[in-house]
Amino acid sequence: MSEWWTYTPGDFLMFSPRVYVRLIERYNLDFWPLQLVFVIGMLAVIVFAVMHVRLAKIALLPAFAVAWAFCAWQFLWLRYATINWGATYAAMAFFLQAGLLAILSFDTDHRIAVSRWRRYGGTVLVLFGLLVHPLLDLLSTRSLAAAETFGMMPDPTAITTLGTVLAIRGRRPLLLLPIPLLWCAFSSLTLLAMEDRGAIVPLASIVFVAILLLTPTRP
Amino acid sequence: MRFTRRSVLQGFALAATLPVVRHSAHAQVAGVTRRAIPSSGEEIPAIGLGTWITFNVGDDPVLKDECAAVMAAFFEGGGRMVDSSPMYGSSQPTIGYGLQKLKYPDRLFSAEKVWISDPASGAEQIEASRAYWGVEKFDLMQVHNLVSWQDHLPMLFEMKAKAQLRYVGITTSEGRRHREIESIMASQPIDFVQLTYNILDREAEERILPLAQEKGIAVIVNRPFRQGSLIRQLDDEPLPEWVAETGARNWAQFLLKFIVSHPAVTCAIPATTRIDHVRENLEAGGGVLPDEATRRRMADYVEAL
Repeated sequence: MSEWWTYTPGDFLMFSPRVYVRLIERYNLDFWPLQLVFVIGMLAVIVFAVMHVRLAKIALLPAFAVAWAFCAWQFLWLRYATINWGATYAAMAFFLQAGLLAILSFDTDHRIAVSRWRRYGGTVLVLFGLLVHPLLDLLSTRSLAAAETFGMMPDPTAITTLGTVLAIRGRRPLLLLPIPLLWCAFSSLTLLAMEDRGAIVPLASIVFVAILLLTPTRP
Repeated sequence: MRFTRRSVLQGFALAATLPVVRHSAHAQVAGVTRRAIPSSGEEIPAIGLGTWITFNVGDDPVLKDECAAVMAAFFEGGGRMVDSSPMYGSSQPTIGYGLQKLKYPDRLFSAEKVWISDPASGAEQIEASRAYWGVEKFDLMQVHNLVSWQDHLPMLFEMKAKAQLRYVGITTSEGRRHREIESIMASQPIDFVQLTYNILDREAEERILPLAQEKGIAVIVNRPFRQGSLIRQLDDEPLPEWVAETGARNWAQFLLKFIVSHPAVTCAIPATTRIDHVRENLEAGGGVLPDEATRRRMADYVEAL
């Protein structure tokens, strides 16, 4: 790209905020009440996994894989890509993340512990992604009909995944961080270009994850 | 006045025609100035319709209908040129939807772009664009942002020679790559050049617009309102007391009249999602157009705000 320094995030925004919000509203309407199934289901799996219920521990990463694949297919590929051709590439990255989650669900090496701060911080991100993020839209100009929920929309899916990965023991789960972090950066720039105050959320998530990663590994 | 069954029925009949009368009044209000394309002498209205962002509505049926209504108002108001690009997301299928709904108006002057770095895929992309629009062929095909122009231009000239399109052009925006644009204008037999020109971005006045006049190249102006930000910026400011001399009724018309009154400009392509704005834009292309002294005064006024 020539004269790349003359471009701003706004130059890459190829749709209006109104079109984007209507896209989410129509998507939510198409699948209601699947949003509740994703949120309640994931919350239940995480809670039981924390309680060391064996089946829940086994199902944890595959459940995330399903969420990433659904989001990639139904939102990014079939819907968002109709107004943003860049979403096609994002969908491929999301499918890749779903594959990584599925593969790493067979990883049983959890000898390396994580710090207390990572566990607590990860829990905060998980609760934020699952329960608080959908309500953020009430603070903006959007209605609840355009709420972004885990499994349906990329932002809460990425944030919840980041929180879970940070709290899991072992080194290999860290392979699951780059794609959600990249998505958060992309999402923040997109929302910034739309002059949406929500841009701060994915950006703050990146900063929060970076801080937690810097905490000592041992408790 | 005596009310009879006949007079009441006549009254209803008259009332029923009112929307039609008002409709055609809009069509007459426009009276858009026409400008000749130097390479052919064909005249086109000085106000066209851009589709960047505004027509990228995906498969939303409500928004697609809104875009079709904008197109209907545009053609009814005397507009002709609709400009798009494969880069504009779903804008091309939205245009196709609108054209089909309007039964492919004869007035349409279709302006498209080829935007692909692989030279071998240029023809395929043009054919895909044509299928989206649902037209037999494009009037104008431009190389978008000069992407692989060395390869695409010969292909477009060949298509023009075979009557597969009528005009060939190049585009840029926001003042990028103007030297290369100049070089192509000087060396290639293009019919159109598209660039950004507005009351605050006037770099093109120095070399490109005079060169277009000298070489007989039609000029399409994009981003006349800096993607709406100019209007948002000026909306709180008062129009000058001498605004009547410009023929404008509001800031949008003020900005458009400044552009289309430049003698080198053939057509400006503001984009909008609103029917009232389409009508305002078309109106700005007609009536009084500022002379050179007034244009200078307009630019000075806006710069001082």
